[in-house]
Amino acid sequence: MSQTSPTLQLIERAELIKQGAEARVYKLPVYFPEPSIRWPSKLRKLAEETPQASSSTQSSSPTPLLLKHRFPKTYRHPHLDSLLTRQRIQSESRSLLRCLKAGITVPLLRMVDVEAGMVGMEWIDGWSVREVLGGGAEGEEADPELEDEGEVDEEKARRRKEAEGALASLGITIEQLMTSIGKTLSTLHLAQIIHGDLTTSNMMLRPAPTRSAGYEIVLIDFGLSSHSNVPENLAVDLYVLERAFASTHPTSERWYQGVLDAYAKGLGEKKWALVGGRLDEVRLRGRKRDMIG
Amino acid sequence: MVTETKRRKVAPLPPADRPYICLGLEGSANKFGAGIISHSPGLNGSTTDVVKVLSNVRHTYVTPPGQGFLPADTARHHQQWALTIIRKAVEDARIEMKDVDVVAYTKGPGMGGPLQSVALVARTISMLYDIPLVGVNHCVGHIEMGRHITASHNPIILYVSGGNTQVIAYSQQKYRIFGETLDIAVGNCLDRFARVVGLPNDPAPGYNIEQSAKGGTRLLPLPYATKGMDISLTGLLSATEGYTHDKRFIGPLASKTLEEQQKYKEEGEDVITTEDLCFTLQETAFAMLVEITERAMAHVGSADVLIVGGVGCNERLQQMMGIMASERGGRVFATDESFCIDNGIMIAQAGLLAYRMGQRTPIEKSTVTQRYRTDAVHVTWRA
Repeated sequence: MSQTSPTLQLIERAELIKQGAEARVYKLPVYFPEPSIRWPSKLRKLAEETPQASSSTQSSSPTPLLLKHRFPKTYRHPHLDSLLTRQRIQSESRSLLRCLKAGITVPLLRMVDVEAGMVGMEWIDGWSVREVLGGGAEGEEADPELEDEGEVDEEKARRRKEAEGALASLGITIEQLMTSIGKTLSTLHLAQIIHGDLTTSNMMLRPAPTRSAGYEIVLIDFGLSSHSNVPENLAVDLYVLERAFASTHPTSERWYQGVLDAYAKGLGEKKWALVGGRLDEVRLRGRKRDMIG
Repeated sequence: MVTETKRRKVAPLPPADRPYICLGLEGSANKFGAGIISHSPGLNGSTTDVVKVLSNVRHTYVTPPGQGFLPADTARHHQQWALTIIRKAVEDARIEMKDVDVVAYTKGPGMGGPLQSVALVARTISMLYDIPLVGVNHCVGHIEMGRHITASHNPIILYVSGGNTQVIAYSQQKYRIFGETLDIAVGNCLDRFARVVGLPNDPAPGYNIEQSAKGGTRLLPLPYATKGMDISLTGLLSATEGYTHDKRFIGPLASKTLEEQQKYKEEGEDVITTEDLCFTLQETAFAMLVEITERAMAHVGSADVLIVGGVGCNERLQQMMGIMASERGGRVFATDESFCIDNGIMIAQAGLLAYRMGQRTPIEKSTVTQRYRTDAVHVTWRA
């Protein structure tokens, strides 16, 4: 946990993007620092003759890296904290790999350092679905981060505008977006992965780099994910999203229905009957809780 | 700048044109409280009203160790104490009943019997002195009082009590619930554990757990169940209870002789004490609460937290929340036990705000309800 941890040193070169609930997220512009290469003497000559060969892979496409640092939460008991951090890094890394195998687009895992609480993954160049949908209720609350930095303000405004225009630039409608989300979630659940924290902030939209489809949905933030095939857990996962939709985008019920329809279709009739039935029960459960105080 | 932009949105509540006085009656659980509050026009033509707590009286129904409070007995307690407490509240405030503009009572949520008893008292006073009634949501009462006392403008609210555990954010004239417990409330969890280990209910089971926890030295593994912004606490309670059946469990360390205590310490014997369990339970449950609060803060982009409800006076919870908030560059607002724990004044505050916005509860509609969600209330007095 000391400063000497090589993964923690990466942070020094990285730019803090945001402080989420779980972790600080950094953007590291270049994956590797300038490499100092030591060649066996025999090969050195050869290497010097063709200097491009060694470093061409990374200098030609400097892919930024996203660093997610689960820094120690000092409010928690240290034992509890290290246990939780360990658990979440493990489940996040495992789920990311599992998703890849199932053909779900997620950030590629680049490095894991459980001791330092650090995970490095592919930088996703896109917009969160929340940005694309226009943020909803929170937009009107003054953002404490804005304070009096006009620059940041402009930058954010520009980004917001860009995000809101994202759908148009990709040539898709909100309905199509919702269908894609539902389809992605059904694939996720068919692979028996529970995300655990589905919100519109945890889904990203980016232009597809390879496929002809034009765009793809990237699921992120698997810190609370788990592995399960029980209808109960699938339904709770959906319910979390339903609540997030309702609180973030107050007028979005119609949209969310689009997600559910596509999800049901993707899951198949038989399985949807189980999950959908359970979802109705879970909905009642959330409402029920209001008693003595 | 932040506060400026927020203030610019003008609250619909007009400045007080004359002094308003409200009597608030609360009795949704085991406390009967009466409080009198006044809103007067600001001095020197200021548009900020002067809010003054004239009196705040409360009596708690305390049951013997190992027992909870049952609805029927609690209702009886309220019936016995109502008049004494109200009379004292009026005397303390140095007013006459005829000065009161409005009587506010708890409409819900809460236990049926106690709520009914208090509503009956409220109705009687209303008819006797010809004063209008306003029914108040208990949770909104907590929130409004917390906002007033701490002068925090638009915080994320953690409402933790014996019957409720909710993370709330205000948006578009509703207090919206972002996260909540999926089963029992955190106060209920603590109370029930206090019963298991026989801690007294006086002054409050949660208080005694807090004191006991100070002697705890080891953190035992317990289930940690956060689901998105929601939490689940029953598993935690069962697991903690489970430890009391463990062979290593020796009861409260404080009950042992000094020699025995010394022996455990020196020989490093593997024992579990009541103190350890209280400590473990608090640390784990509160870590979950702070975590979901932080989630809501990150989601909404708010920096301040207001803690309300009975469990909110736990200093360890306040401390943990303080550390979390300062890491995010925010602040924590908490009140002391006279306002955290159920009281009449909070009902009066919320009731008077509603009254000044023109809300009245006609006598034939002055019912109570055991289930009354925080987000069901239309908050007319905020922008």
